[in-house]
Amino acid sequence: MTDVSTTADTAAPTRRAFGGIRSRYLRHPGFMTGLIVLVLISIVAVGAPVFAPYSPLETDMLKTLAPPSADHLLGTDQFGRDVLSRLIWGARISLQVAAMVVLISLTFGTLIGAVAGYAGGWVERVIMVGNDILLAFPGFLLALALVAVRGSSLDSVILAVSIAYTPRVAAVMRSVVLTIKPRPYIEASQAIGMTASRVLFVHVIPNALPPVIVVATVSAATAILAEAGLSYLGLGVQPPAATWGNVISDGQSYIISNPWISISAGGCIAIVVIALNLLGDGLRDTLDPQMRRYAGSRML
Amino acid sequence: MPDGHKPADYALDVRNLRTAFPTDAGTIAVVDDVSLAIRPRETLAVVGESGSGKTMTFLSVLGLTPPPGKIVGGEVLFGGRDLTKLSAEELRDIRGPGIAMVFQDPLTALNPVFTIGAQIVEVIRAHRPVGVGEARAQAIELLERVHIPDPARLIDNYPHQLSGGMRQRTLIAMAIALRPKLLIADEPTTALDVTVQAQILELLAELRAEDDMGMVLITHDLGLVAKYADRMAVMYAGRVVEYCEIHEGFAAARHPYTHSLLRSIPRLDGPAGEDLAAIEGQPPNLEALPPGCAFRPRCFLGSDRADCAAERPALLPTGSDAHLSACLHWGELAAGGGR
Amino acid sequence: MVKYLAQRLLLMGITVTGMVTVVFFLLRLIPGDPAEYMLGDYATEESLAALRAELGLDLPIHEQYVRFMGRAFSGDLGTSVVTGQPALAEVLASLPWSAALALAGIVIAIVIGVPLGVISAVRQGSWTDLGVMLVALAGISFPVFWVGLVAILVFAHELPLFPALGATSSENPLTRLHHLALPALVLGISVAAYIARLTRSAMLEVLGQDYVRVARAMGVRENRVVYRLALRNALIPVLSVIGVTFAWSLGSAILVEAVFSRPGLGSMILKAIFARDYQLVQAGVMVLSLAVVLINTSLDIVYGIVDPRVRTA
Repeated sequence: MTDVSTTADTAAPTRRAFGGIRSRYLRHPGFMTGLIVLVLISIVAVGAPVFAPYSPLETDMLKTLAPPSADHLLGTDQFGRDVLSRLIWGARISLQVAAMVVLISLTFGTLIGAVAGYAGGWVERVIMVGNDILLAFPGFLLALALVAVRGSSLDSVILAVSIAYTPRVAAVMRSVVLTIKPRPYIEASQAIGMTASRVLFVHVIPNALPPVIVVATVSAATAILAEAGLSYLGLGVQPPAATWGNVISDGQSYIISNPWISISAGGCIAIVVIALNLLGDGLRDTLDPQMRRYAGSRML
Repeated sequence: MPDGHKPADYALDVRNLRTAFPTDAGTIAVVDDVSLAIRPRETLAVVGESGSGKTMTFLSVLGLTPPPGKIVGGEVLFGGRDLTKLSAEELRDIRGPGIAMVFQDPLTALNPVFTIGAQIVEVIRAHRPVGVGEARAQAIELLERVHIPDPARLIDNYPHQLSGGMRQRTLIAMAIALRPKLLIADEPTTALDVTVQAQILELLAELRAEDDMGMVLITHDLGLVAKYADRMAVMYAGRVVEYCEIHEGFAAARHPYTHSLLRSIPRLDGPAGEDLAAIEGQPPNLEALPPGCAFRPRCFLGSDRADCAAERPALLPTGSDAHLSACLHWGELAAGGGR
Repeated sequence: MVKYLAQRLLLMGITVTGMVTVVFFLLRLIPGDPAEYMLGDYATEESLAALRAELGLDLPIHEQYVRFMGRAFSGDLGTSVVTGQPALAEVLASLPWSAALALAGIVIAIVIGVPLGVISAVRQGSWTDLGVMLVALAGISFPVFWVGLVAILVFAHELPLFPALGATSSENPLTRLHHLALPALVLGISVAAYIARLTRSAMLEVLGQDYVRVARAMGVRENRVVYRLALRNALIPVLSVIGVTFAWSLGSAILVEAVFSRPGLGSMILKAIFARDYQLVQAGVMVLSLAVVLINTSLDIVYGIVDPRVRTA
């Protein structure tokens, strides 16, 4: 309610505060849709052995490139593997990559950004120059190069994408910390003699988290797209493992005759990525209006 | 107060205006049944804390209520027309030549990527069919009128190259560019240094007199504007709670909130060492106003009177038609003799 | 402005040096002996020794670094193991293909993305806004290579408007353009989605500013308020948005080149990765990243020219 009392007299905050409330209503459907979709897909991914009608690797040379039917809802690929089963198992890889990348980039990005922003001075300058150098690489190119030298495997994909996207989290974290640092409770904690690391972990990081979580949601989406891209190029998780990128790649040669193979896999990726973006947009709009500024242009 | 006068007696006549915002907790009226009238050539001070609805009242007058807020009742009479009933285009014609507004923070109120000249020219050309060259000449004259030194040169400066006081002068120049009949100045000095504040108020008073404008000074600092205003309206929680001649208000305030406000002003002629009374309690929460008088929880006359809690007191004449108060017990204040 | 320019150029120098350093260490991340890895199983002792010597792998790491940096800045990015040609020459040969695709893509993206973002912001909360934002959401969520595949299916096969191959050996500029069109559209549309989203939020931010209210309070026409007064403010953040998306679009361009079998830096890097031609990968990554830095620095400078707060400082 401080909202209205402070806002009724000053122009910009009014718009912002009331706009926030309105969009909270508007955006909620999106946020909820994203959440529900993600929960459902997670259930499918975890229960892949139960849900998948066939083994994702089981070939049937008598039934290659079968069109969708009651036996094979999405048909089969060139080795007679059930496309639906491969997509269900593919969800596991995609979500695993997304979760791990978020975990790694959030942990390291938060720490790096918070230390830089909080320490200030030459520590900040050195860290941020390094960070900016990594940021200057196109993320996907950096991930590609890392996978190229480390060899193609699930671990290497996760590591590469994490390294490519951690600097983005760090940059956001730092800019948020810079706005939190001058707040009275931080100065007060310093004044009563709390150690720097304690202030950092007790006050700075928890208060800076909301915008960073928004960025993390978006980087989960980017991670899924990056994994799919790497797999599609043949540099990600190696065939015959079922990943969405691999399925698109497998189906590419048959895009004219059997378009559903590639199309359904792309659809899966899009659904998860849309859900994550909806979630991120919803969080950004509802958690705190001020974070729009940070999350906006940094999410690429 | 508006009753008994013809609309033409007033530069602006606001009657029972209500502006409401939908929120999580339902609709709240940030402007709640506000009636105010400004005579031609008169300066009205509108006083209140943040959130009292004073700015929102005049944004509503101009039809600039920030969405999703909107006017839900009342009339805004100006030049014989009800502004709440006008189309967007008709309202646009009023803004500038009819009513102009000077905003609080001259730093954010000027567009950073245009020169101040371009911004004044934009306003002139929005209403007058003149070329850029002619508009620019007018802009230079305007800058001269607001005492900006070397206007022919400074006109090509960007806002960030000017001081706070200069920026506020620029905004004032923009506001008087179309010779409005009414100038609304919303906390015109709040963002400025103390030394510049008086200069700006002097400038506004000078321009008001030169152009025969009516003027509204919105402020939270009654002491600052007292000598420039003829009458005052005190707002609390979206309502006008006292409305009177300014010297009357200072001499014999008839609402406890006005009393408290006056006591929080430091006075040079007051006894040294006298305590400045801060107003006790929290500013009102519009989403959860107490039943009855909104000021009741903070009132020094006592917060537990049954009649105060019964219903929100109306703004009524107290003794004379010219002095209105929304306090049931104004008599106790009158007896006490003000400050 | 001079100070600003000097700062930007210094920053660019630091960034480029840093990036070349990152690339240097990238090759050293190869587990085991890079030379053996690069030459594969059929390597002879002599060829291995020769490659080690050329890469300086027998030197201590700091000497390797100094040597590498010295060579890199003099334009020697090594030799392709496969063709025996200087890596830089190979990279520069494929650069025009990528440049054409990226440029066409970004132009399409700006032409589509900026107006949509502006319209969406101006009509915030309307059906138009919702529609544009839903399309943009889809645009950033579908994998670009998949969009490419679908585009081939629809526009090259079902409706044979464009060739499925993104390149031609023909010298006729019209034929070349015809082959470029579909890949450029696919890249452009996916980048346009980002630009539209970011433009919208930049524009909304500006439309909420006090000076916009002041202009309205003075009776300036709504069209003037939006398209002259507000838009110029919004274009400044949009400019930096374009810088950000440019790096991103070069990443996507690698995938688009793969889908349309179009030559270019991306395809070249990819081929080099499979051939374990790491000198070439290294050179490709370096040139591509350098392009991003150059573009971003130029945009920063334009930014300085557009924004009077920087220009007159």
